[in-house]
Amino acid sequence: MKRVGIVGVGTTQFRSRWTEKTYFELAFDAVKMALEDAGAAKEQIDCVVYGIYNDFFERQFQPDLFVHDYLGMAPKPGIRVSTGGATGGSALSAGFAQVASGLYDVCLVVGVEKSADCLDYESGKSSPEVLKAISYTADMTYEQPTGRTAAGSFALTTIAHLEKYGNPTELQMAKVSVKNHTNALLNPVSQSPIALTVDDVMKSPMIAYPFKRYDNCLYSEGSAVLILASEDAAKRFRKQPVWIQGIGAALDWAIIGNRKDLYSFESSRIAAKKAYTMAGIQHPLEEIDLAELHDAFTGTELIAYEDCFFCEEGQGGRLIDDGIVEASGKLPVNVSGGLIGCGHAVGATGIMQTNEIVLHLRGEAGKRQVAGARTGLVQSIGGPGAAWTVCLVLERE
Amino acid sequence: MDKQTFLTWAGRNARRIGVKKDLVVQAFEKAMTSQAGPDAPFEVPDTMHINMRYSYGGQSRFFREIFENKRLMGTRCSACSKVFCPPRTNCPHCYGRTEWVELRGTGKILSYTTVYFATSSYIKQVPYIVAYIKLDGADTAILSNVEMKDIGKARVGMEVKVVFRNQRDGRITDIYFRENG
Ligand SMILES: [Zn+2]
Repeated sequence: MKRVGIVGVGTTQFRSRWTEKTYFELAFDAVKMALEDAGAAKEQIDCVVYGIYNDFFERQFQPDLFVHDYLGMAPKPGIRVSTGGATGGSALSAGFAQVASGLYDVCLVVGVEKSADCLDYESGKSSPEVLKAISYTADMTYEQPTGRTAAGSFALTTIAHLEKYGNPTELQMAKVSVKNHTNALLNPVSQSPIALTVDDVMKSPMIAYPFKRYDNCLYSEGSAVLILASEDAAKRFRKQPVWIQGIGAALDWAIIGNRKDLYSFESSRIAAKKAYTMAGIQHPLEEIDLAELHDAFTGTELIAYEDCFFCEEGQGGRLIDDGIVEASGKLPVNVSGGLIGCGHAVGATGIMQTNEIVLHLRGEAGKRQVAGARTGLVQSIGGPGAAWTVCLVLERE
Repeated sequence: MDKQTFLTWAGRNARRIGVKKDLVVQAFEKAMTSQAGPDAPFEVPDTMHINMRYSYGGQSRFFREIFENKRLMGTRCSACSKVFCPPRTNCPHCYGRTEWVELRGTGKILSYTTVYFATSSYIKQVPYIVAYIKLDGADTAILSNVEMKDIGKARVGMEVKVVFRNQRDGRITDIYFRENG
């Protein structure tokens, strides 16, 4: 297997809505940024992987066709990946395989998503119709008709965890929300950079018990793109590569009632373990300098600390209480603001998270730079109750 | 665009996408009747809508027994004896065939949530409880709604029993659960 490095990154602004740009125009902007970052011409790209989640969001089935066309990538090979919230991570995983196998030298990975063109005319708001579009990716035979939402599927697991371990408490979840919104203040592409208090979060309206408004991530529109190259090909580009040292993926039972336990995300534990084994990480809390974890909901970030083996099972809440995961802590989590502060442009999210780590490992993260960062972790999850997880360990030389 | 032209346009689009005209007017009036520059974003009403018929295939008996006989069925693997509800015609563990078994319809909540903000199809029903229920005699859990007077009283471990709706449509929501006892 060939060594694979990231040689160029580009992320557009994440916004609640981009009326000025279509999905293919957003992708174009991020591709142009990534090419400029790498000092690459589009002719140097051998193949493309597209991460685009929901066809309703784009108002286009098989939207990758029209992104590829708009980017002028014809007739290079291109494939599209769609794995819910993990779409970005899975696209990266597919791109990694294209290059690691030796099939192609340079692979462009394009994540893009709209959502807020979905409109509930009755309320004049996007959210209920966005949720409806998402609901068609739940099991249509037995589960979708019950009216369980995306937040609901993660709330079910969080409640089971709370029942078993007595946490995450609503206070601990509120602290995560405050942390991620605050971190977003220093990220120029973030959608929700706001100074919040724990009280603001606790008093925000309930969405799906125990998650309140500010425990939820945002619906975002935006694009994030990166360029993968083999070790030899990486020499053609101007930036020091950031190496993908470990990659792990799992797809758990999607009908959560088929799982052995409901209180943890087994796919996340397996994916993290595989990525660590491949990268030679033995003590994650000691060896990882910063992590971008999939905080679709505050409760899931707290459980992710456990699933990524930063602590024992049931101890996730302690890491926020002790300040370990704060931007100034021992292991900063979601310095970008995460999905809660920076935003969740679904297909782009895993790539936005990866790009954030790349900037830190290069020392290019500006005011939010984690000093001396050498090793970073990305966790990308999706599907009901984190059916999918992809984890990546990134390192600089 | 002048007001009259706008209203005609809104009416035509409202019919096309199946939304009340006044709602289309509400959503577009400001943008369509003000002086926007030639490069301002141009938004139009739209929809994506497919009518279907869906066969439950090998799972048909589960839905038919609820619909016609108010009976709740699961399936049992003839090789490894695991009992599935929701049912499966094939066992995902040993790939054995399964046979139909009737369940008593009592069980326990494994986990639950209360939904306060829902999709546009459900937004008028909030708040409501969605729970994974492990039926007595089954090895897997089914997602369903739990209806109770005091919605704050739902708990993990709560004993529940199935209720068949009086008006049934042949969908999974023909059943829901209530506290048992
Ligand atoms: Zn079996």
